[in-house]
Amino acid sequence: MGGGINIPLLAICLLIFLSIITYLTYLGAQQTKSQEDYMVGGRQIPGWIMALSYAATFISTSAIVGFGGAAGVFGFSLMWLSFLNIFVGIFLAFVFLGGPIRGMSSNLGANTLASFLGARYDSKFITWFTGLMIFIFMPAYTGVVLIGGARFVQESLKVDYNIALLFLVILVGLYVSWGGLRGIMYADAFMCSMMILGMVFLLFKTYAVVGGVVAGHQALTDLASKVPESMAAAGHLGWTSMPAGGSPYWWVVVSTIVMGVGIGVLAQPQLTMRFMTVPNKRALNRALVTGGICIFFFTGTAFMVGPLSNVFFHDTTGQIAIAAAGGNTDLIIPTFINAVMPKAYIYLFMITLIAACLTTVLGLIHVQSIAFSRDMLPEWGVKTAKSPLFYSRIGVLIGAAAAVIMAYILPISIIARATAFWFGICAAGILPALLGAIFWRRVTKQAAVWSVALGFGVSIFGFVFLHASESAPFGISKLLFGRDALLPAPWTLIDPLFYSIVIAAIALIAISYFTPQFSKEHINKCFNGEAEQRSALSKGNIKA
Amino acid sequence: MLGMADPWIALVWILNIVAMIVCVVYGGLNWNKGGD
Repeated sequence: MGGGINIPLLAICLLIFLSIITYLTYLGAQQTKSQEDYMVGGRQIPGWIMALSYAATFISTSAIVGFGGAAGVFGFSLMWLSFLNIFVGIFLAFVFLGGPIRGMSSNLGANTLASFLGARYDSKFITWFTGLMIFIFMPAYTGVVLIGGARFVQESLKVDYNIALLFLVILVGLYVSWGGLRGIMYADAFMCSMMILGMVFLLFKTYAVVGGVVAGHQALTDLASKVPESMAAAGHLGWTSMPAGGSPYWWVVVSTIVMGVGIGVLAQPQLTMRFMTVPNKRALNRALVTGGICIFFFTGTAFMVGPLSNVFFHDTTGQIAIAAAGGNTDLIIPTFINAVMPKAYIYLFMITLIAACLTTVLGLIHVQSIAFSRDMLPEWGVKTAKSPLFYSRIGVLIGAAAAVIMAYILPISIIARATAFWFGICAAGILPALLGAIFWRRVTKQAAVWSVALGFGVSIFGFVFLHASESAPFGISKLLFGRDALLPAPWTLIDPLFYSIVIAAIALIAISYFTPQFSKEHINKCFNGEAEQRSALSKGNIKA
Repeated sequence: MLGMADPWIALVWILNIVAMIVCVVYGGLNWNKGGD
């Protein structure tokens, strides 16, 4: 990026962009009077704003540049991930998870994912333990997203990396503590529309550059002979083919990327808690329209532009994309955009990427702040002298500081694995208990406690001691036992998400059959709280 | 198919668009449902 960019002009664009999100945060702050406003936007956020906020929080800078670049290397096979993002992350999530999570959390008066699970299972342990896991492990993921944004600001604005990182984190900290979730979601909605604009242009322009849909795909198919030998040996059969079944590339595409990120998204607290912000099921139905379009144009575009950039680079330079980008996958998309897009677009794309980073970090820091003020302090019986809002803002401060510290102290080898680690432990620790909570009336408190503890425990153990991709850079196994992984292959290759989520699910089901069920009153309160009250009210009206 | 070497890739390219359309159609058909 940056060839011939007019830095003062870009700075003016950014200032206008920042003043708009500052104004939107101010609007949110005006309506944030209570802790419920701060945590879930007072449960009155319109569906379309929720969908824009959900989609923008879902997608970070790395999802566009990093995954787009990876698709430039792996090819169209990564579109299985964008398909899962739309079908699982939006359709199934909004239709089947959103309604029950919204209704039940409202019945139970729960404003965070952890306190919702704790109230459903009548367990303080589940609330504080889930909150603590979020509080301890989220900063590494937040740090990764921040690094992606800061590197990008450094490159595009030619400012010092340290200044860029601190600027981003201070901005986020101020906006979260000032505007609460209302302010965040209003600002998200604007930033999401900028992202949509940027990605729609990019997709249509790319297909125009390569000569249209079928001709572009055909040109890419004809490049299959250009796959470097090392990649072909690992199973790469061309950019319009799946990798060879069972080859190392096939495992990378299918296991870590598709399963990890495709399934892991359902248990991301910053996303699932957004279902608690809408007033009714109708808002979720309407949100589906916006959400489906957004995620298609965010992830779908990245995964179509990446592979097709090979056609452009081969036609113009005789090289494939990864060679044209100097071997750095993260540079494939920026290099391509610099080469084919009109100069004015490059400013829009920079705003798009900064918006992608900001929206995600806002969502993460917000969840961390309420994990501190709602899930941990009250459950531990800490005497709080000031209002919950005060402690939420302390949580913002701790979360932002922890993310910056992580961004500085973690070596690059660990940073690269922080996303897989975070998605993996969330999926194993939260997903079985969450699905049990909203779909299974027979599930018991003891089963849920064991499921959450085993899900987090086994997945963390797997990442630290078994799965070589993380256990080697973490170095804890080496320090304690003198070797990178405790068990031989295939344990070193299997993503711990796979076995830990199975263990957590089996524990949830099996232990439920041996332990006492919840009372009918409790189940009724969880599932029918509102309906019960409504029917009682309507009977009262008839009598009157 | 669609210029792709592997029919599975052509399928997933179409599925992406179908998934988006399913979201839009489902949301549209239920636009006024679930208000209470």
